[in-house]
Amino acid sequence: MSHGRDGSEASAGADASEPDAFEEDVLALMPALRRYSRSLARSDSDGEDLLQDCVEKVLTRRQQWRGVNLRAWAFTIMTNLNRNRHRHRALHPEVEYEEALGLVAEEQSADPLQSRRLERALDRLSAENRSVLMLVVIEGYRYQDVAEMMAIPIGTVMSRLSRARRQLAEAMKDDNVIALRRPK
Amino acid sequence: MTDEFNTVSEDELHAYVDGHLSQPERGRIEAWLEKHPARAQEVREWQAQAAALQQHFAVYAHGEEGDRALVSAHRHHGHAVASSPALVLRRIAAGLLIFAAGAVAGMYGPGIIAPVRPPETAESPDSLPRQAQSAFLVYASEVRHPVEVGADQQAHLATWLGKRLDYGLKIPNLSALGFSLVGGRLIPVNGTAGAMLMYEDGSGQRLTVLLGRNRNNRETSFRIASQGSLETFYWIDGEIGYAVTGEVPRSLLQKVADECYRQFERSDAS
Repeated sequence: MSHGRDGSEASAGADASEPDAFEEDVLALMPALRRYSRSLARSDSDGEDLLQDCVEKVLTRRQQWRGVNLRAWAFTIMTNLNRNRHRHRALHPEVEYEEALGLVAEEQSADPLQSRRLERALDRLSAENRSVLMLVVIEGYRYQDVAEMMAIPIGTVMSRLSRARRQLAEAMKDDNVIALRRPK
Repeated sequence: MTDEFNTVSEDELHAYVDGHLSQPERGRIEAWLEKHPARAQEVREWQAQAAALQQHFAVYAHGEEGDRALVSAHRHHGHAVASSPALVLRRIAAGLLIFAAGAVAGMYGPGIIAPVRPPETAESPDSLPRQAQSAFLVYASEVRHPVEVGADQQAHLATWLGKRLDYGLKIPNLSALGFSLVGGRLIPVNGTAGAMLMYEDGSGQRLTVLLGRNRNNRETSFRIASQGSLETFYWIDGEIGYAVTGEVPRSLLQKVADECYRQFERSDAS
């Protein structure tokens, strides 16, 4: 029986003891990891699932971390997890509940319609192409970094980036929207 | 024509869009783009895409209250093969689906291996905590539909479940212990209609309270049943059996059980 635990965990929940340095580092990465997980996912809940799986893996594999660039390492784990999930999804297709209701991420943008089109267009990209696009565009990684993180040649990074950009543009057009506003 | 400029590669266009180029390189690309309007159009599209993506996902780059709990969740559950409780639950829940199907049919047996049992065996007193635990494992890990009726319809929930249970159900208020109601669902207990209430604390840690009719009418005092890190406090009071289940320290769960007991007493009286 687990009588021994009562004392040490009496204060309940997770803040029972001080996080160690590694955990603090992971905590500091949470916002970036959350954004990246969401940028790969089909919905908010899918993104949170992926985030949790990733954090779990990062913590259970901490011995395997070589001590350089925790962020890139965590992003790599997330990228791989996501690819596996996609494989699984391809074998067991299911419609996300939120998607079925047409509720996908409408809340945050000034233009909800635009947001939905963007999400739908993104969902048409392959997991690999989407990861490269997000790592470059949102997370600001250089092509060489992405190549190392994904263990692929830089030429593959470039062709995936190219494909992602063209497919996204196509998908947005298919949706009969010309119109991502121009920057400036 | 202007062959000297005709040296811009696709890769360079991406690097231009992604801001990886030095000022002179940018100048060279821009001069080239002026002479290649189709590519310039494409580059503008990519720039607009990038801006839209950055804007779209920027809102997600924040910490959340539960992050600390998520990160520290591991320490409490072993080292080498540690798993976050949520994941463990998710996995167990998946494995338990067959098992749950048995429970739904009122055929809850003593083991996962032999779910097909006549309903009569469901009625021993210790089947209550087991049913409570399997319900917890199945529903507490549900992200989207943990309950049928949410806390926003608390009055309706109490009436509905009370009616099915044939019992004046008052939903306990556990806010003093940091838990708020998520909602409830109808659930088979001992082969007849029972009720499950779910609560959650600020970190998303969940508890369930199971109520089922107890035809044997055997009273019990408070008892504890553990299954791994899952703890259940249960008691049978007259015709109703109660079970409070959670993956929280036993001391906390006991407080919850005490609180439920006190509040159910009152609902019985009313």
